[in-house]
Amino acid sequence: MFKELLEKKRYSFHDGFESWEEAIAAACKPLIEDGAVLEDYVDLIIKNVKEYGPYIVIAPDICIPHAQEGRGVNETAVCLMKTKKPVHFSDSPEHDARLFFVLASTDNSIHLQNLSELVEYLSDESMVKKLLEAESVEDIKALI
Amino acid sequence: MLKVIAACGSGMGSSQIIKMKIEKIFKKLGISVQIHHSSVSEAKNLASNYDVVFCSEALKGNFANAAANGTIVIGLKNLLSEQEIEQKIIENVVNKK
Repeated sequence: MFKELLEKKRYSFHDGFESWEEAIAAACKPLIEDGAVLEDYVDLIIKNVKEYGPYIVIAPDICIPHAQEGRGVNETAVCLMKTKKPVHFSDSPEHDARLFFVLASTDNSIHLQNLSELVEYLSDESMVKKLLEAESVEDIKALI
Repeated sequence: MLKVIAACGSGMGSSQIIKMKIEKIFKKLGISVQIHHSSVSEAKNLASNYDVVFCSEALKGNFANAAANGTIVIGLKNLLSEQEIEQKIIENVVNKK
């Protein structure tokens, strides 16, 4: 998952965003540019969050923007975004995120492989700490 | 066999992460379970057929009806924290039996 993400340049690094909606759009941009998802995917993710709340912030500082499988998606993919300043998804600091992994899926078995690899990395607290300190793709490459 | 469902907004992200994590913890605790995952909209209608529903804390309110009918609804703040999951399973499932 990380190997493909690095090879296909599916990552971006930013200072911060005024709103979570802008952050979601920026996080999806590399996937839109390489055709893995359609522009609609951004709106579908935003709609989901507006409907169900900031549940895509799965752990402190970690957000997994995604919508339904197969809608607005051409390819199963993962895309990383890292911000220096936290993006606020609600008034509660519990819903702040700096590390984003956009998930897109057309094939559940590949998606599940990606997801279990991701969960393995993110379950390691020292790895999360290092990912949160990363400011460039070189920093990420050094960790993987 | 405990019947468990993990739910999230779309059924492909956090619900699958929850499934991976709770599978591990139930195994560790020696509790045999059957775990499904789905979107909230589907899970809402199915929840009463399950013993336990897991979801993000933010989604818990969707399962008020099932909770009123005796289904245990567990909201998780940190989906990756095995400590939180284990503690909540012990508190809400093991100690309730």
